[in-house]
Amino acid sequence: MGTDEQLGAQPANGTAPADGLPDDEGRRVLSRLADELLPVLIARLEASNLGELELRQEGWRVRLRRPLPVNGVVGGASAPALPHAQGQPATGASRHAAATATAAQAAAGASPDSRPAAAGRAERQRLTVTSPAVGYFVPRDGMGPGSSLRNGDPLGHIDVLGVRQEVVAPADGILSRLEAEAGQAVEYGQTIARLDPDTRESRG
Amino acid sequence: MFSKILVANRGEIALRIVRACQRMGIASVVAYSEADRETRAVQLADEAICIGPAEARRSYLSASALLSAAVVSGCEAVHPGYGFLSEDDTFAEMTRAHGLTFIGPPAEVLERFASKAGTRNLLARHGLPIIPGSGMLRDNAQAMAEAERITYPVLIKPSAGGGGKGMRMVRSPRELEQALTICRSEALAAFGDDSLYVEKWIDENRHVEVQVVVDRYGHGVHVGERDCSVQRRHQKIIEEAPSPALDDGRREALCEDALRAVVAAGYENLGTLEFLLDREGNYYFIEINCRIQVEHPVSEMISGLDLVAEQIRIAAGEPLGYSQQDIVLRGHAIEFRINAEDSENGFRPQAGVVEQYIPPGGPGVRMDSHLYSGYEVPPYYDSLLGKLIVWGADREAAIARSRAALDELVVDGLTTNLPLHRALVSHRSFLDGEFTTNLLDRVGSGAFLAARA
Repeated sequence: MGTDEQLGAQPANGTAPADGLPDDEGRRVLSRLADELLPVLIARLEASNLGELELRQEGWRVRLRRPLPVNGVVGGASAPALPHAQGQPATGASRHAAATATAAQAAAGASPDSRPAAAGRAERQRLTVTSPAVGYFVPRDGMGPGSSLRNGDPLGHIDVLGVRQEVVAPADGILSRLEAEAGQAVEYGQTIARLDPDTRESRG
Repeated sequence: MFSKILVANRGEIALRIVRACQRMGIASVVAYSEADRETRAVQLADEAICIGPAEARRSYLSASALLSAAVVSGCEAVHPGYGFLSEDDTFAEMTRAHGLTFIGPPAEVLERFASKAGTRNLLARHGLPIIPGSGMLRDNAQAMAEAERITYPVLIKPSAGGGGKGMRMVRSPRELEQALTICRSEALAAFGDDSLYVEKWIDENRHVEVQVVVDRYGHGVHVGERDCSVQRRHQKIIEEAPSPALDDGRREALCEDALRAVVAAGYENLGTLEFLLDREGNYYFIEINCRIQVEHPVSEMISGLDLVAEQIRIAAGEPLGYSQQDIVLRGHAIEFRINAEDSENGFRPQAGVVEQYIPPGGPGVRMDSHLYSGYEVPPYYDSLLGKLIVWGADREAAIARSRAALDELVVDGLTTNLPLHRALVSHRSFLDGEFTTNLLDRVGSGAFLAARA
């Protein structure tokens, strides 16, 4: 999976950055932030008693703030939670990005794979759907090649000791093939299905 | 006996458990996080299952991910290693609820020994001496009265916590009064609970612990003691057996007391009883570790036992099959914890690529490590890179071999505490067997490094 698919510079909350899309360098740094730094920072924040944690590095700044308790977020196995990251490359030579992520939400089950991708920025390539957990794969009834999926639609679920954890489409697309059979044991991150990008006119 | 075991841990201990399984003819399944895909345990195990992302909470600390991995791979038992969920009675109970065996004490035994204060009282009733202390303090007046009774210096400790937060050593009533306010607010901030107690502070103490092995039927042996007095910031870095601070009479008394008390208290499986030893040779029970410990190889080297194999056998319900007189302790063993940390800069943990790794060899030299040249040390977990364990016919011989082995060991590419170990093993305090738990922090590792140079 390319990290670009999961973590475009486009913020997950839908508002476009003021300065437009970042260049490759910006995307590279954002990807690195999301893949390497954020998990560590989130863990540190959670292990601490701090309300806020800020890291400055290479002209970038990341700030994590502990959220106020949110009902029903923690522990929701199928919650399609995500750290809402806001990245904005500054104009000029000095780059600046502030990412805020709510630790509790991130901990509640956001994996790189359940993060809604930067769907609008359609990569003309096949997308993979990966398992969010170790367990048995149970496809949704009627799910098969040709099924049309919107970003976030469930393809099925992983049975984790009797608890369902949803497998969702990371972007709009047409299911090209299921890589796991019904009842098959799958591990975390294992490819469950492949999607072809939806080539119809993009909505909105 | 089990035919397949899930290894619910990482690093050198995962590798150690895989090796024990191989030797016992048991298939092993290593549960690993995304950050540990390229590790020796994953490569050597019969199977490996990715259970989650790097973040421990969603992998090595996730009971459901671990147990789901055990279920889908058809394991019969789960070995938790040390740290993570190894002493978590809820995890042990969940393991059993899914029809699997937890390799360690059963859930109810873990629960019985879960509270430090409760365990101290329990084992004191079975005859172990404990550090004189107060109960939970109501107010300052009671604190003053209790400290007076125990006699200064005393250590103020929060009931709820650990890790040094809310702890202060005081030498007078005036210091105590001031420190109580600070400790209360620190404890409240750290643990959400400001209740405190005081206990006798033992100056210049040593840390000595007794390894016990107890089967399901109440038969147990001790495997002698380990001296873990070389510590930095309350973390052990060198452990040895036997303790240079005990003569044979005291050693026997300590080990027999410890064994008798835990067996009487209903303990089961491997365990370690930790004691503080004062200058006069008095020992005080502090806590019990209900798991395999990092420093277990020290006891293996002098006893010839495979403690991980014993742990698995006991969990499978096998009787011990031997008794105390069969345990013959021979020679002297020392373990050096090789950590990715900068001893000169506050022991800051290091991450990065191990460009070159060459373990030492020769008679009596054992290296338990998951390293290989090119291995990338992830930043998410603890800094332990491996353990060098050296055996000699006596302490002097073990130290001579240790020096050579430490010089031979190569770990290039990131900063480790190897220079500190090389300095310590030539330092007068260590050679004389005079190390106390606070010496390294009090003197500073810089001084030891400078003494070597």
